[in-house]
This record gives sequence, structure tokens and C-alpha cells, in this order.
Amino acid sequence: MSALASPVPVPQEVAVHEGPALLAGLTDGPSLAAHRGRYGALPEVGLAALRELIRASGLRGRGGAAFPFVRKLDTAAGSTASRAPGRRGGREAVVVVNLSEGEPGSAKDSALALTRPHLVLDGAVATACALRAREVHVVVAGDRPAVRESVVRALDERDDAVPIRQHATEPRFVGGQARAVVELLAGRPNLPVTSWAPEAVAGLAGRPTLLSNAETWAHVGLLVLRGGAAYRHHGTDREPGTTLLTLTRPGFVPHVHEVGYGTRLRDLLPPGVHGHPALVGGFHGSWATWPTLRAARVSVPGMSALGAPLGAGVLLAPGGSCPLTLTSRVVDYLAGQSAGRCGPCHNGLPALASVVRELVHGDADGGVSGAAGRAGRLAALVTGRGACAHPDGTARLVRSVLAVFPDEVAEHAAGRCAVEPVGSAAEDAGEVAS
Amino acid sequence: MSRRLRVDWPSCRARGLCHELLPELVDLDEWGYPVVAGEVTDALLADARAAVRACPRLALRLTDR
Repeated sequence: MSALASPVPVPQEVAVHEGPALLAGLTDGPSLAAHRGRYGALPEVGLAALRELIRASGLRGRGGAAFPFVRKLDTAAGSTASRAPGRRGGREAVVVVNLSEGEPGSAKDSALALTRPHLVLDGAVATACALRAREVHVVVAGDRPAVRESVVRALDERDDAVPIRQHATEPRFVGGQARAVVELLAGRPNLPVTSWAPEAVAGLAGRPTLLSNAETWAHVGLLVLRGGAAYRHHGTDREPGTTLLTLTRPGFVPHVHEVGYGTRLRDLLPPGVHGHPALVGGFHGSWATWPTLRAARVSVPGMSALGAPLGAGVLLAPGGSCPLTLTSRVVDYLAGQSAGRCGPCHNGLPALASVVRELVHGDADGGVSGAAGRAGRLAALVTGRGACAHPDGTARLVRSVLAVFPDEVAEHAAGRCAVEPVGSAAEDAGEVAS
Repeated sequence: MSRRLRVDWPSCRARGLCHELLPELVDLDEWGYPVVAGEVTDALLADARAAVRACPRLALRLTDR
């Protein structure tokens, strides 16, 4: 099927708010001189010291999976030490900064690239040196030119011991998926392939590849520059540190905030979306009703327990617009973003999108329960059956809309919708500014 | 040690030989792609290996995880 446009366009502008750690001192600007003026020179850190900094911080990957970063580092370090039997040549590690926000609703990595590129690069360079890696790669989104320009400008300013190369993904939702990024670096099409071992064991050219999201690297950079105590100064005892969140409202420039874990979510949401549900975690995320959002605190385990995992920190808040209509447009878009290589995703996502459309338009064969049942079965059928998690994420969104909005689904089946179609109000009013 | 059949999805073209050789573990979805259920028990190991060898797309693997 032809690719439909995303209901939320890929942002070309980002409103970045001053934050307590990563986003402190934004008025300094993004230059290397300002960065070194604030943080000093990047110290050399041995692998053991770096590992201890990261372990004590409890840092988790910020690409969405929240995997403990120390375990990834250990895997890469261990794989570097162990030479594969019968293998000639080295097992030098490769460090990859994944700045390719494939999710249109996310702008936090863009925000870092635009305002704090050297924090991200310092984290990657310090780790590369500790691992004795020979190369660092920075992968930016091909459809975010301002981000790419900022990264290129930042790289021009630096003179690191390890070479840093810059690449750009194809403009596709799954282009930033870890294996798709490794494929791109290997000179093959920027599409997901089956991963038989974690990237940290065998990634680019079979070498241990420590690939992480830009925000993760920025936290590593700050840990190296400022130490562990500064990291633990924010957040809670159980969940120290800060996190970036993107607040995306259809028709508005996305806003990026940095908050300590434990912050009340409702304090971040503008009054205009109070009382309304939001999609937490972006297009692969889950819906949360206003009572859930009002009670929630920013927390990886806390939000997971509420059934709305933070993922990569996207809060998509359509305000009073219809969440079913938005979901259907998102699923249509995601179906079109399938790389088309895996049969269950290639066939299953368009079928899923079609059932969701029937539910929204209230013209489902077999009535609402029949269509909801079919959607649930298709969601289960595509899950876990692809080279990447694109079908799983799309299925999660569909299951979530059915679970969170049963009354709205019934209303639509009866040909009614309590709210306006998403986007129309803002677009009609010509609202684009923040 | 639990053995599982894993599909290399980008390689699979729904030829269906895996289902022919191992219906106990491999069902086919409505588009003909394999739906793999459960672990490969010792009793099914020989048939599972045959299915792996027979796949014309080399899209099936026996893994230990």
C-alpha cells in the first residue's frame, strides 16, 4: 500500500525548555567553546571507572526499551575481550550514537542535537576511548535537516582521538531501529533484518557494537563531566536522574522538557489538554485517560504499572479531539511504514488498519464486537513475528485503544462520535505556533 | 536447554514446507506464513531439523534461546 502521511508531521522546529541537567544553560548556545566553558575538558576515564559511574547511576537506555545501560556496556566490553574462535582480525568495539528519531511525535533527540550536541558526543567519545573502540558513528534522521546541520557543525568543531563519522537514515519510521541502523552503517539498505545476536555481541561487521539513543549518550557525557553525585541530585532515591519528554500536540510545535523522575506528569501538560486522554510512548505507545495522567508521576516502572510505559518519552496529547480517529490515522500511517519485508507485518498491518477504520467509521461487518475481536486477533497474530518490533508496537496501540476506550468504540458503532475529528480544529484555525 | 524454531522473517516467502514437515509445531496464518508454537521437544527434534534443512529460503533456524 502507498505510504500515508503521518497524522503528526516530522517536526522541523522544536521548542526546547531549560532543564536541570542535560538542558541546563541553554542560553550558552550549542558551540564547543560554550560547552567546554561550562563543563571543562573531557576527562579520560578507564573502563572500570566508567562502568562504576554508569552502574551506580542506574542509567537505562532512552530509546524506549529502558534496558540497563551497564549491562549493554558489559556485554560489549566482554565481547571485545573474547576473540571468536577461528576468527582473524580484531574484535574492536564500535560505538554508535542513534540520533535517528523515526517517531514523528518525538523531538527530544533533535532537541539535544540542536542545543547540546557536544554532551551527546562527549558521552560516546569517552565510552569509545574506554572500550578502545576505533570508530564512532553518529546516525541522524534524513528527514530532519536542521538536526543534521547541527551535528555536522558540532563535528567540525571537535578534534577527538577517535574518528567520528556521520550518516543519515532513510525517512522511514523503522529506519532508526537498531538493526536497520547497523545495516545502514554496513552499506546495505536501511531496513531491519533478523538479529541472531544482540548488537553489543555482534553488530557492525560482526564486531561488538554499542549502539544507544542520543539521550543515553548525553547522560553518559554528563556523568563523565560532572560525576555520579550530580546525576543522583535529581529524581528520586529509587529512580535517580532526569529524563527528556516530548509533548506533542497536533498542530503545534513539539515541546521538549527535562524533568527529574518523580515529577507529576500533569505539571507538564498544558491546561488546554487537561481533562483529556493522551497517547503515552508515541505511535507504538498506549493511551492513558485523564484520571491516569493526573495521578501519574514520571517513572519508568511507575508508568509501566499504569499500563502506559514512557517508552522514549513521547506524550501525544490531542486534547479534545477523537482518540479513535487519531489512532486509526496512526495505524494507517504505521501500516504504510512497514518495510514490507516480513510477511506477517506486510500483510497483517494493512489488515489491522482496515479493521480499525471500520471500527471508527462504525461500518464493521459483524458489528462492533466482531470487529473488535478481529482487531484483537490480528494484533496477537502479528506480535513477535518480524525482524523488528514494528508489528508489536502497532499491535500494542490497537490493543490499547480497544481496552481504554470501549465506550467510545461503541459510540462509533452507533454512528456517533462525542468529539471532533482530530487535527481539524487546529488546522482550520491555522494554528502552527507554540 | 530449551530449543526453539526461529524464523528469519525477511527471508520467509510463505512456501509452507515447514508446516508440511512439522505440523505439530508450525501452523500457517491466513497468508501462509508460519506460526511457530512452543519448544522443540526431543521427540520432535529430528523433524524440526528436517524442516530447517528443507526450507527453500533457508529462513528457519533451531536456536537455544
